[in-house]
Amino acid sequence: MSADPYSSLVRQYFAAAAHAGDLNDAETADVEEQGVRIRLAATHVNGKILALAFRAWGCPHVIAACEGFCAEFEGKPVASLGEFRAADIMQKLSVPVEKTGRILVLEDAVRSLGQRICDGPVSQ
Amino acid sequence: MARDFIYLDFAASTPVDPRVSERIVECQQAGFANPSSNHVAGRRSRAAIDHAAEQLASLLHVEPKTLIWTSGATESDNLAIAGGARFRANRGRHLVTMVTEHKAVTDVFRRLQSEGFDVTWLTPDKKGRLDPATFMAALRDDTQLASIMFVNNETGVVQDIDAIGSICRERDVLFHVDAAQAVGKLPIDLSRLPVDLLSLTGHKFYGPKGIGALYVADRSGCHVEPLFFGGGQQRQIRPGTLPSDLIAGLGLAAEIAESSMASDLRHLGTLRHILWTGIADVEGVLVNGDLETGFPGILNVSVDNVEGESLMLELEPLCVATGSACNSTSQDASPVLRALGRSDLLAQSAIRFSLGRQTRQEDVEFAARRYTKAVARLRAMAPGAAA
Repeated sequence: MSADPYSSLVRQYFAAAAHAGDLNDAETADVEEQGVRIRLAATHVNGKILALAFRAWGCPHVIAACEGFCAEFEGKPVASLGEFRAADIMQKLSVPVEKTGRILVLEDAVRSLGQRICDGPVSQ
Repeated sequence: MARDFIYLDFAASTPVDPRVSERIVECQQAGFANPSSNHVAGRRSRAAIDHAAEQLASLLHVEPKTLIWTSGATESDNLAIAGGARFRANRGRHLVTMVTEHKAVTDVFRRLQSEGFDVTWLTPDKKGRLDPATFMAALRDDTQLASIMFVNNETGVVQDIDAIGSICRERDVLFHVDAAQAVGKLPIDLSRLPVDLLSLTGHKFYGPKGIGALYVADRSGCHVEPLFFGGGQQRQIRPGTLPSDLIAGLGLAAEIAESSMASDLRHLGTLRHILWTGIADVEGVLVNGDLETGFPGILNVSVDNVEGESLMLELEPLCVATGSACNSTSQDASPVLRALGRSDLLAQSAIRFSLGRQTRQEDVEFAARRYTKAVARLRAMAPGAAA
């Protein structure tokens, strides 16, 4: 049998994308590049991320990467958003290198979200 | 054995009929010898091949001597197109085909273009059909060969081979038909159809992989230059020791197909109707092809605002295809669906369900439910969807 194109973590995040959806009173960032559309939403207080959510139109790796990002960064300081690297989540999820461009769209969305939080009003 | 998948990819390959498997093993034991050998074992092997040729010839309504065994449809297509074009190159170097042909055809034409042949690429109408008048208008005085497929592997669209072939005969153009998706599935009477060269492969009609055939009409001016050299087998058109076991298997698969074709077609028609009825209400779903005139074993559909690769994963455990399975590693939108006027996004969302003898009603009912649910989940996940 040929290798499964999806790692078990990609399958897990794709099948049970608990963070797919919207948040009320959240900062949002929308990015559309490379045929991929991502919308990230975050609520935060006192410099800490309370909740994250996403919407995505893309391949399973993109959806899994969005879910993986949300699961990892909830509860972390807002400043930590600047530490998100596409390369790290690609390694964690075993994303094939030819999909780097698509995962970089998520990186752009995370940067944009961090910027919006810094620029915008505190949500609570 | 419990199944961990539901196979709806019969256009990519079919399971070998158990009777065919038995025949192959039997031939491997008793008819293993080199069929070119003149001793008793060789003659036995040769007899198995001759019998298989009669079985396939009966299915196609041709003489057994017009059949050349190959490794499959890809080789048959290469032999027919490259061999036919080169055989007639001194008469003219213009060739005609369609953009919706299988890569086993289009890539040969591209190769011939690099050798100095001039190729006209025809596009179908929105339902995938080639208007014979469009075909006729493309012919020139120096046109020597045309290749049009019988049943499209992605959409199931059936071309008017009779009309196109008649035009070729009138203009003395060598006419090749890639019938990989048609042989053993639709009635083909080559004693009546004006076809010069026809490609087929065993594994598309419950025979083994690795064996196919090229029909070469027994008429003046119809010949192909060989691609291989070394041995005088098969009139030197395709030399090499013949795999008597695989050929015997293909022969029996042809015989079974001939006897079960009518019931197979009824079965497929019923199942495709159930499948389509089950998903027709999905908002924005479009049929790629034509349900009225297309081969009933294939249903190809696209939907808007759904990404194709995610849809494929969400459809598991269904085994289906996006575009052509032969090209499943490519992320590019299918040129076949683009030629039908579909946008890149719609083409990339296309799913081909292809049904077969073993498909059950509960399989297609499950597939319809799964498809409906998958589209709804992915759309709900997309930006811009209602919360």
